[in-house]
Amino acid sequence: MSSVVLSNIGKSFGSLEVMKGVDLTVEAGEFCVFVGPSGCGKSTLLRMISGLETSSAGQIFIDGKEVTGVEPSARGIAMVFQSYALYPHLTVRENIGFGLSLARRPKAEIEEKVKQTADILQLSHLLDRKPKALSGGQRQRVAIGRAIIRNPKVFLFDEPLSNLDASLRSQMRFELTELHAKLGATMIYVTHDQVEAMTMADKIVVLNGGRIEQIGAPMTLYNHPATPFVAGFIGSPKMNLFEGEIAEREGCRTYGIRPEHIVLSTMQGKWQGVVKHIERLGADTILHLDVSGLPSLVVRTDGDRPIAVGKMLFASPVAGKEHSYV
Amino acid sequence: MTRRQLYTGVTALAASAVIFILPFLFIFITAAKTKQDAARLTFTLPAEWRLWDNLMEVVEARNYMLLLAYFNSTVITVASVALLVLFGAMVGYVLQRRSSAWNKLIYACVLAGLMIPPAVVPTIWVLQSLGLFKTISGMILIQIAYGLAFSILLFRSFIATIPRDLDEAAIIDGAKPLQIFFRVILPLLKPVTVTVIVVQSIAIFNDFTNPLYYLPGRENVTVQLTLYNFQSQFQTQFNLLFMNILLVTIPPLIVFIFFNRQIVAGMTAGAVKG
Amino acid sequence: MTTRKSPYPYWFVLPAAVIFIVLFMVPTFASLWFSLTRWDLVNAEFIGVENYRQFFREPFLIQGLVNTIIYAVLTSGTKTVLGLLLAVLLTSGIWAQGFLRTVVFFPVLVSTIGVGITSSVLMHPTRGLINVALAGLGIHGPGWLTDPALALYSIVLVDLWKGIGLATVIYIAGLASISPDYYEAARIDGATRRQMFFRVTVPLVKPATITVVTLSLIGGLRSFDLIWAMTRGGPGFSSDVLASVIYKQYQAGFYGLSTAGNVILFILIGLIVLPLTAWFNRKEVDL
Repeated sequence: MSSVVLSNIGKSFGSLEVMKGVDLTVEAGEFCVFVGPSGCGKSTLLRMISGLETSSAGQIFIDGKEVTGVEPSARGIAMVFQSYALYPHLTVRENIGFGLSLARRPKAEIEEKVKQTADILQLSHLLDRKPKALSGGQRQRVAIGRAIIRNPKVFLFDEPLSNLDASLRSQMRFELTELHAKLGATMIYVTHDQVEAMTMADKIVVLNGGRIEQIGAPMTLYNHPATPFVAGFIGSPKMNLFEGEIAEREGCRTYGIRPEHIVLSTMQGKWQGVVKHIERLGADTILHLDVSGLPSLVVRTDGDRPIAVGKMLFASPVAGKEHSYV
Repeated sequence: MTRRQLYTGVTALAASAVIFILPFLFIFITAAKTKQDAARLTFTLPAEWRLWDNLMEVVEARNYMLLLAYFNSTVITVASVALLVLFGAMVGYVLQRRSSAWNKLIYACVLAGLMIPPAVVPTIWVLQSLGLFKTISGMILIQIAYGLAFSILLFRSFIATIPRDLDEAAIIDGAKPLQIFFRVILPLLKPVTVTVIVVQSIAIFNDFTNPLYYLPGRENVTVQLTLYNFQSQFQTQFNLLFMNILLVTIPPLIVFIFFNRQIVAGMTAGAVKG
Repeated sequence: MTTRKSPYPYWFVLPAAVIFIVLFMVPTFASLWFSLTRWDLVNAEFIGVENYRQFFREPFLIQGLVNTIIYAVLTSGTKTVLGLLLAVLLTSGIWAQGFLRTVVFFPVLVSTIGVGITSSVLMHPTRGLINVALAGLGIHGPGWLTDPALALYSIVLVDLWKGIGLATVIYIAGLASISPDYYEAARIDGATRRQMFFRVTVPLVKPATITVVTLSLIGGLRSFDLIWAMTRGGPGFSSDVLASVIYKQYQAGFYGLSTAGNVILFILIGLIVLPLTAWFNRKEVDL
């Protein structure tokens, strides 16, 4: 169990500076998620922690020891790749034990450790299969197994669930969270999916364009987003964000209110508009209101409200839930 | 680039210069020398540059045999390649699009065509019975027969990347099979067609063995055969011999300069699964 | 109910099939018969396996068979190993990498006869450039093509010079298809460069390896042009291979014997290449 500290990290590709002055601490045993849109630098940051890429500036510490410039294999890390990187010509057993066999450990030791790892991940009955005979979820567990057997100080996950279909993804989210609880290890997890971030993280790091927008616990980011970007990124459906006239009226540059924090009325309210689009999801209904002066107001309400397109409604923000940014 | 990459590159370049480039330089400079100068077989620049004179002498030798050879080789190459493209595409097309029991047989024949060495004397026997022995047409048909396997393979795998939807859209529009093939598929095959043309042209132009067996005779000379025959002719005239080699090497060189990518793509087809 | 005519008609295969059958399959099957005869292209007198007995009795015929195998194994083996090493070198990002690839590949496209003639001139025991250069270093160069013990191997060297580029280019394509993730995962596991080569690169480049081995074996077994241009099978018959034997017997008018040589070559290729391909494909790598 180890902490990871990034101090003043910068990264340039040739003359192109993509990251500057990044400071970050991941506590020992924490499940920390780097989240952000494509190209925000989350994978680059992860790869710099792993040592697969070198930082152009700054220092990296794992477990209190500086590892800047140290080879990946000597940092005490293990990584689970998006593509899993399972060697197709090796069995599950050989894939998991690959690192130990490279280090020329005695056969009995490898055998024992592989068995233990397989037990933790319920792969014991698959040990003699090749990757092509495994399902997506099974392959992912083998990739995790290869990481676990290294007994690393820090686990690094690079978008491991991207290649799975939706239902499998939610199951694997649960399994990964359970694994974290069982092992108690420090885990750094990269994803572009804010749902994964919200459901799995102890701490979320939101990145955008090579900069950290905000760091905090999931609910902190939800309730108190520090910037409009974080406000619009966390939470589904997206927060309503308005600039211009309506923001001026509220006394700020950007004004935000979440769809679930708007109350509807047929009689009175702050805004008045016509329903132009309805999405019924069963438990919830999402309404798009055409309000004068606003591009579109998205409101979330209960599932069985009898509302039709064209109906005129009033909408009001819940007190205390409004967000304003200068 | 690291220091090591630079040094390794320089070393490799030096080694490759000696191994690969030197021989060609030797051919070139010897081809430009006088007869006596060339006979010394030294790696020196020509005392007198006789590039043009040597060229003329080689071209005029034996009644302009080289020109005749070039003509014959060109006719054979163009005709063979044109039909190889057409027939290869047609078979590759049916092979890829239509799933039938015959496919296995066709595949087996393609593999056989790649592996089995042609039975030369029986082939001469067949050609003679058909009155095609020692004829250009016969040679063309032979080149087609021997080149089909490779061409079919290339076309088949390329056609696999053309979505069937295009065929089906054409069918709905009322197109007949020939029309689908010529107006929808063939135009889309341009990249692989270029590759096939380039690779097969070089192979047929450089072919020595098959004309040796199937096209003997003065009127029928091809470029490689001429080169071979002139070896005794130019026994003491190394300058002319190497000029001849130079002339024979130039066409593929030109093709290579313009079509490097396609040549490499054609020859690596099958190296990666898919 | 009318049966829908397929938009992929069988007759598309017809022109190619006719040419292939008449000019390739028919002669191949005919060769099986004619190899059992004494033949002058008009009359064929059945003599059973006499031609084959001759092949395994006459020293110069046996030599051709043995040489063929030596030639094929040497060229194929070297191309397989050296080609991969060269490909790794030429994909490692060294300076002038693109130019080097071109230089290595160009000999593949040059006339084999041209290469053969040039090589025999360069290999002349006293006046050839190679021995002259060696003499300058104080080494007495051997009779590359004049020494019966050496001739075949000198031709092997030239064959390698000409053909290594193709193997390299095929391997380069194969290497490009290996995902960098595999190397990164191995790097995290602490693999040395040697381990990366033998335990990641070599297994994952297998499709290319199969292609190189198969192509170079078949090419090596059938090799004719280079040998004919450089030594005509000599000195004596020390560098004869099956292909040159086939031609010599044809020139001498022994058509039955020549055809028997063809059949032997055919069987030889089958015996070597088919089991090899089967063995390769059994250890299938699914990428």
